[in-house]
Amino acid sequence: MAEILKESPLKSVQVEALVVMKIIKHCSQTFPTTATGSLVGMDVNGVLQVTNSFPFPAVEVPSVDSHHDSNSATNAAAAAPRAKANTVYQSDMIKYLREVNVDANNVGWYTSANMGNFVNANVVENQYFYQKEMNERTVALVHDVSRSSQGSLSLRAFRLSPSFMAAFKEGKFTTESLQKSNLTYRDILVELPLTIHNSHLLTSFLHQLPSKPPSGPLDFPASLASLKSDPNAPQPPLYPNYDSLDLSIDPFLEKTCDLLLDSIETHYTELNNHQYYQRQLAREQAKITAWQQKRKAENATRAAAKQPPLPEDEWTRLFKLPQEPSRLEGLLNSRQVEQYARQVDGFTASISGKMFAVKSNLLPGDGQQ
Amino acid sequence: MSRFFHGDSSSESSSSDEEELYSEEEEEQSEEESEEDSEESSGSDDEKDAATGAKRFIKGESSDEESDTEDVRVVKSAKDKRLEEVEGTVKLIENAEKINDWAVISAGKYSSLAYGTDPCDGTEFDKLNRQVVKLMQSGSTPKIYVKAIADLEDFMNETIAKSKVSTKKMNATNARGLNAVKQRIRKNNKDYATQIEQYREDKTGFMESDEDEEAVTVERPSRPSQRLVLDDEAGDGEGFSTVGRGGKTLQYTPESILKHLRTIIESRGKKNTDRNEQIRVMEKLYEVATTPYQRIRVLLALISTRFDLTSGAASFMSQEQWKLSVDSSSYSYSLEFDGVFRQFCLHHIRAEHEFNTLLQVLESNPDYVVIENAEEWEDDEKPPTLQAGEKLKIPGSIVSFVERLDDELTRSLQHIDPHTAEYIERLADEGALYTKIVRGMLYLEKLAKDEKLQTPQESINRIIIRRLEHVYFKPSQVVTILEDNTWKTIPTSLNSRITPRGKADASALVHTLCTYLYQHSEGIIRARAMLCQIYFLALHDQYYRARDMMLMSHLQETINSFDINTQILFNRTLVQVGLCAFRAGLIYEAQNSLQEICGSGRQKELLAQGVMIQRYSQVSPEQERLERQRQLPFHMHINLELLECVYLTCSMLLEIPLLAQTGSSPDLKKRIISKTYRRMLEYHERQIFTGPPENTRDHVMQASKALAAGEWKKCSDFIHSIKIWDLMSHPEDIKKMLSEQIQEEGLRTYLFTYAPFYDTLSVSTLASMFELPERKVAAVVSKMISHEELAAALDQVNSAIIFRKGVELSRLQSLALTLSDKASGLIESNERTLEQRTQGTAGAFERSGQQGGRGGRTGGRGRGDSRGGRGGAGNRRGGQQFTGGALDSRQGGAVRA
Repeated sequence: MAEILKESPLKSVQVEALVVMKIIKHCSQTFPTTATGSLVGMDVNGVLQVTNSFPFPAVEVPSVDSHHDSNSATNAAAAAPRAKANTVYQSDMIKYLREVNVDANNVGWYTSANMGNFVNANVVENQYFYQKEMNERTVALVHDVSRSSQGSLSLRAFRLSPSFMAAFKEGKFTTESLQKSNLTYRDILVELPLTIHNSHLLTSFLHQLPSKPPSGPLDFPASLASLKSDPNAPQPPLYPNYDSLDLSIDPFLEKTCDLLLDSIETHYTELNNHQYYQRQLAREQAKITAWQQKRKAENATRAAAKQPPLPEDEWTRLFKLPQEPSRLEGLLNSRQVEQYARQVDGFTASISGKMFAVKSNLLPGDGQQ
Repeated sequence: MSRFFHGDSSSESSSSDEEELYSEEEEEQSEEESEEDSEESSGSDDEKDAATGAKRFIKGESSDEESDTEDVRVVKSAKDKRLEEVEGTVKLIENAEKINDWAVISAGKYSSLAYGTDPCDGTEFDKLNRQVVKLMQSGSTPKIYVKAIADLEDFMNETIAKSKVSTKKMNATNARGLNAVKQRIRKNNKDYATQIEQYREDKTGFMESDEDEEAVTVERPSRPSQRLVLDDEAGDGEGFSTVGRGGKTLQYTPESILKHLRTIIESRGKKNTDRNEQIRVMEKLYEVATTPYQRIRVLLALISTRFDLTSGAASFMSQEQWKLSVDSSSYSYSLEFDGVFRQFCLHHIRAEHEFNTLLQVLESNPDYVVIENAEEWEDDEKPPTLQAGEKLKIPGSIVSFVERLDDELTRSLQHIDPHTAEYIERLADEGALYTKIVRGMLYLEKLAKDEKLQTPQESINRIIIRRLEHVYFKPSQVVTILEDNTWKTIPTSLNSRITPRGKADASALVHTLCTYLYQHSEGIIRARAMLCQIYFLALHDQYYRARDMMLMSHLQETINSFDINTQILFNRTLVQVGLCAFRAGLIYEAQNSLQEICGSGRQKELLAQGVMIQRYSQVSPEQERLERQRQLPFHMHINLELLECVYLTCSMLLEIPLLAQTGSSPDLKKRIISKTYRRMLEYHERQIFTGPPENTRDHVMQASKALAAGEWKKCSDFIHSIKIWDLMSHPEDIKKMLSEQIQEEGLRTYLFTYAPFYDTLSVSTLASMFELPERKVAAVVSKMISHEELAAALDQVNSAIIFRKGVELSRLQSLALTLSDKASGLIESNERTLEQRTQGTAGAFERSGQQGGRGGRTGGRGRGDSRGGRGGAGNRRGGQQFTGGALDSRQGGAVRA
């Protein structure tokens, strides 16, 4: 049984409504600081059922000065899942949960995000920590607070791909190793389909949410058929949501643009680092070849003079090649840009739909009618 | 007397010899005192005076020491030995003569003049000379030696005559040997000329006189010259004078002048020569000199010696000064330095006087010309005789004297504190120097007229550029006075072809000089002439001419290949053009011209008006010294504070409207006109408390703030309260111009800042707000509208501005534009990388084409967007530049200095 479990990969994630509510509450409370927490549940036939969650305690950071405060706090919160104190807290918490008969199986962690800016070293390291230490079947749930506030819930589940896990284990992200392992930015994270699951009890409760009784006297049913379609019959719960008809395009796109510009800046920084490295490397190599040629000539004269030749591999001791900068940051940045791009893509898809729905205002010249 | 004391301590056996020597010396001494001796005998005996005796110099120092120390003790026996040696050598030479073997006589032509240094190296002839020199230590020239060299010379002449006649050639070594000997004999025999003459007159008689009677031989050669002296005295009372010095008497006769001169010239450049002494001697020589030839020769030598002296002093001085800067407390240094410096100035002034006399002599004796490519006259005894209609060429260079004089004056001005009376005193010499330059120029012109002389064109060019460099930075009034004074001092008989007398107009003068140089010179001199003219034009408010010349010269492209001094001149010209534009009210052009120099923060260095102390750079003392040498004297400086003030004011007038226009758009960073100004403004804004303005910078900054807030009156007040405007030629005009500019820019700033809040705006309201005529307001607004800086229309019926709404880019739009720019940048860099990777291979190129096509589509979209969207911005920028931009191409000029 255990063997089979290990073999079958995770196919999807199923999250209990309770967990969703808890995550939303936690994340929006701490917004804009990153919030993190632990997930418990179990894995059933490739479907990871997340049945409960609890937040990690917010780390108290001694505020050095106003400017640094938010930054370090964010960092501390983001790094919470792999902090030592928190592992203890987490195991304690799971122990208590078992006592109240909750699934006592750690299946991952969750984090909050702002406009999809979650692809960074922290997330990767946290997930690596979980996937390596705890067990293979753990996920990271990302709740995007900003996007959720626009009407549609944004909750996504991610895992690190096995190839990335291997590369990260080695800790080497040089051009060479990337070429060998054929790792691209697309291979970092694997998104899993996510469904929200309500217990039947809850569904039926929702469907029976009491609506107000009609205030005036009711008309008699006109026909038999009208009896069947009861006007007082409850609608599907909490539907429709008028928030999703929000037409404010600018704030979202502006924010995304800003983030994209930031990413491009990061990209240029990375680029410069790499170019610097390459220049250094070329310079060192030129020096080494010069040394080797000199040594060869020397050896030739020594051979002519019947003297033992000098060793030709001394350059390894004399010269030190510069360390290639890690490409991880670049990879993550690329992934992040992709994330933003998709986000905009999805957004525009839905927003153009809405725009056509209010078409009369869309076409220029028609607006006045 | 050390010699004799030394002798006392010697052994018994040699003491008798010593006695003899002593008596000999005494004899000579008495001779000197009793009668007026020729310089030859006094020269050979006078230990201390290196300057008088010809042989002393030829002998060199090492032989001197040698004879002083080791040989004195055994004079007699050594003398005998040497005589034998000499005889032996003479034998050898004679033998060689017989078989016509010049190679033996002079085997090694490379042997040096210093005879005593290396005995085994050298030739028979040299050996002979060496031995004789040692012999002469103790008295006279051995007759056998005289005979040998006389015979040798005769034989040599004979051989040369023969070789000329015969077709048969000598073999190479022989010929070489002959040449070497010829040269050396000429030189050598000059010293013994009298004796050789005697020998030739009466060969047997000369040889017969007893060798032991040294005194007689000494006396004999001295007599003829003595007679000459007496003759001279009879004929020309002022012809010579007697100088008592160190208890000894020396004479300079017109005859011996050239000989003295030769020794001095030969000692030039050697160590341990007392130049002051030489100068004194030469001054005497000049007094004695009778013929123009002699005078010219003496003056030439004297001036160059003075230059040697001053250059030595100057280098010493600069080192001293360097030390001073290191250790400012050392008062003694400064005292010492002061003394040396005074002397240096004194020498310079004297050199000027002497140069003046030289020119006078030359002008009054048109038969003698000083020319660079003349051959040296070898014979000191016989001054060259003039033949009618022929000119005597004397080697020398008037131009280099002028240049040296000029350089020395500059150098001395560099070292004097410009705020002292001394500086002004020294500066007054510039007029005299200018006269010298003009006179030198006249002289050269005269020479150039004579076709036979073939004076190089270059020397005239050099002297003209010197003249130009004394004129170009001065206002025309000053130049006129200078010219007037100069022509007053120059004799009326002289006139110039290039710049005729009486034409006092300064600009015409500069124009003529420059035109002459354009026609006759090339390279650096031509470039410098151009720069000088541009500078002069700019100084005299002829902006457009200056600018056109600057652009036509294309110097900005080549200036980096010129030497640093020319680059400095270029920088100065650039700055002057900028100032000129400012005076003309052309703010944009002024800012553009000044940007490179003032924006760098290294104005001092670039204009050579002070050495910057750079904290992090390694400047070697050598470099620093060079830089110090390049510094301009104070009177040529461009006022740096005024420069900064002008630059900042221009930047303010351009930047404040720009700041108002760009607001908080993300591409704000791109459009910075002056980084320096922005930095200062930011710094000023960061200050919590700003007091009343103290310096120029404060004034401008506070004015900027006021202008940004729309308070143009306050801004104008601040700018007007800057005191430095008074340094400009018409401060009131400048202030008026600035007020107008401020009003206009204030209006622009106001419109940029408050346009979003208006629907319509009456032109008359604006006119009353900025106290401008309505026409002007309408003009400014129309200009802004046409440059798409303002989304509005001008309602001429109601005379109001109607603003259009919603035309400005929203934040999202501008962000999107920036993003698309960046994206296209990324695509381009990607394509470049791919190209680099796959260069050369056709397939790869194909692939890159495909990829480029794909990228190009998206990129094209982005670029197209950006073009369309940014059209306004682009035009705006173009609009700002449309009046200026003339000097734009000068970007990348000579920043490095």
